[in-house]
Amino acid sequence: MTTGEREPGVAQLVGGAHPGTRLNIHLRHYEASLTTALREKFAACAWLAGADLVSAAARAYVRVQPPGHPCIAEYGEDFPQFIANYGRAPTMPYLESFAELEWAVGQVAIAIDYPPLSWPHFAQIGSERLIDSALILQPGLRYLRSAWGVDQLMTLHLSGTEPERFVLPESDTFIEVRGARGTVHLARLDGATFTFRRELAVGSSVGDAAGCALELDSTFDPGEALRLLVHTGLVATTTARANAS
Amino acid sequence: MKVAAATRAERGTNDAPLAGVGLRLPHLAEVATGALTSAWLEVHPENFLANPHARELLLDIAQRHAISLHTVGLSVGSVTGLDREHLRRICRLVDEVKPILVSGHLAWSTHRGVYLNDLLPLPYNQETLHVVATHVHEVQDALGRPYVVENPASYVGFATSTLTEADFLTELVTRTGCQLLCDVSNAFLSAANMGYDAHAYIDAFPAHAIAELHLGGFTREDDEATPGGEILIDTHAGAIAAPVWDLYAYALRRFGPRPTLIEWDNDLPSFLTLLAEADRADAVAVDALGHGHSHAPAS
Repeated sequence: MTTGEREPGVAQLVGGAHPGTRLNIHLRHYEASLTTALREKFAACAWLAGADLVSAAARAYVRVQPPGHPCIAEYGEDFPQFIANYGRAPTMPYLESFAELEWAVGQVAIAIDYPPLSWPHFAQIGSERLIDSALILQPGLRYLRSAWGVDQLMTLHLSGTEPERFVLPESDTFIEVRGARGTVHLARLDGATFTFRRELAVGSSVGDAAGCALELDSTFDPGEALRLLVHTGLVATTTARANAS
Repeated sequence: MKVAAATRAERGTNDAPLAGVGLRLPHLAEVATGALTSAWLEVHPENFLANPHARELLLDIAQRHAISLHTVGLSVGSVTGLDREHLRRICRLVDEVKPILVSGHLAWSTHRGVYLNDLLPLPYNQETLHVVATHVHEVQDALGRPYVVENPASYVGFATSTLTEADFLTELVTRTGCQLLCDVSNAFLSAANMGYDAHAYIDAFPAHAIAELHLGGFTREDDEATPGGEILIDTHAGAIAAPVWDLYAYALRRFGPRPTLIEWDNDLPSFLTLLAEADRADAVAVDALGHGHSHAPAS
């Protein structure tokens, strides 16, 4: 079914003069439904790289990487890596990052915010306890690092803008994707702030996240970074102990 | 828009039958505003389990509308067993939404951890009956309520079948206490594709177990299996065909009034178009049954 090959059980089928050929209806539906789902999820990639490339990559992907679960919203997380190596895609070294960004945009757009932690509540946590605490950030947050300014490309796509000429800068780019209830916002962060927030997002303690950021930039100010995080509503709650250290 | 919608709502459930419509994601925000309404709505839980925003809107809509959950991924016909994590997720959604019905298909779609995103056919024999009945029992135990099993759209059958589809479903009801969803369009197109009489199929369906009826559009294609012939594909991509309306009227006379659902999933039209199809189903039901019958589900 997933590879388009029929097994010997075809001989047991009935329906029409050549019933085995009716399996093609199921084969076509399997391929078409999932290919359509991937094309819709990666519409920005089709805008960038061409619908033919994305469709062909999607058809190949559904054969080698069929879904493991019935929720198709969860299908395609590793399609960015797949399409990056498909057909003429390797001539577009930024495509994998762009596809990862598109996946992240799709994920945060369907998120809903938790009630944000207020500053007075946050301030009640003593500094000694805070350093070993983990922060639960809003579910509609993703952190992506790219060697290309793919956030600029995505902003063009989301705004429906198509300039005649666009030079994609090759530069280390730290992107925060924030969304909820259908809205999405892309922001560029400096490397240390990105590292701090990404580490918190994966469950590191405040102390460990700050350590990682300070390794990158010795002038990084963890207190100011925390204040900004809470004031912008990105922190939902704290846990007494971090999941990872 | 509001006036048209209100006409259906104000008619109520006591003096005329009311059909429901399938609520798909593109219409979700529009329906959540409350400007449009339907007697009841059916959703595919798989579209909401991994989509918190859609789930939030659904829970809001469920405060105002009766909701039916129609699963597409439970795969009660899989010999490799149910996806128990998926079943747990469905149960959590059922607890939140409190649907009037929970239904799914007589089909299989998973095998050894691979989900095939289609409703695949089963041979109708004792071995399959044992597999399906075991899984329906498990689903009903988890849900704490009857599971409603739908007859599939068929393009191929199996030489190893020893029971008709209607007899298979009747035996499934006897063994599990499940209820049935008679998809009248599936009955029509399966009969055409497999060469049997649709009215005889309806006659053989166990009327006492039917909790719901479905109506959906199909597409005609050339039949690769029979050069020069055509095959009817259950695409849910258009209006309900005239002969299916006739079979629906026949089914209502045979079964009595039942909640009826308009399915339209592909090439999705406006929500108002779906409501117009539901209105037509109501009119057919009034003609078939006479006035004073209600087949809106109890909420």
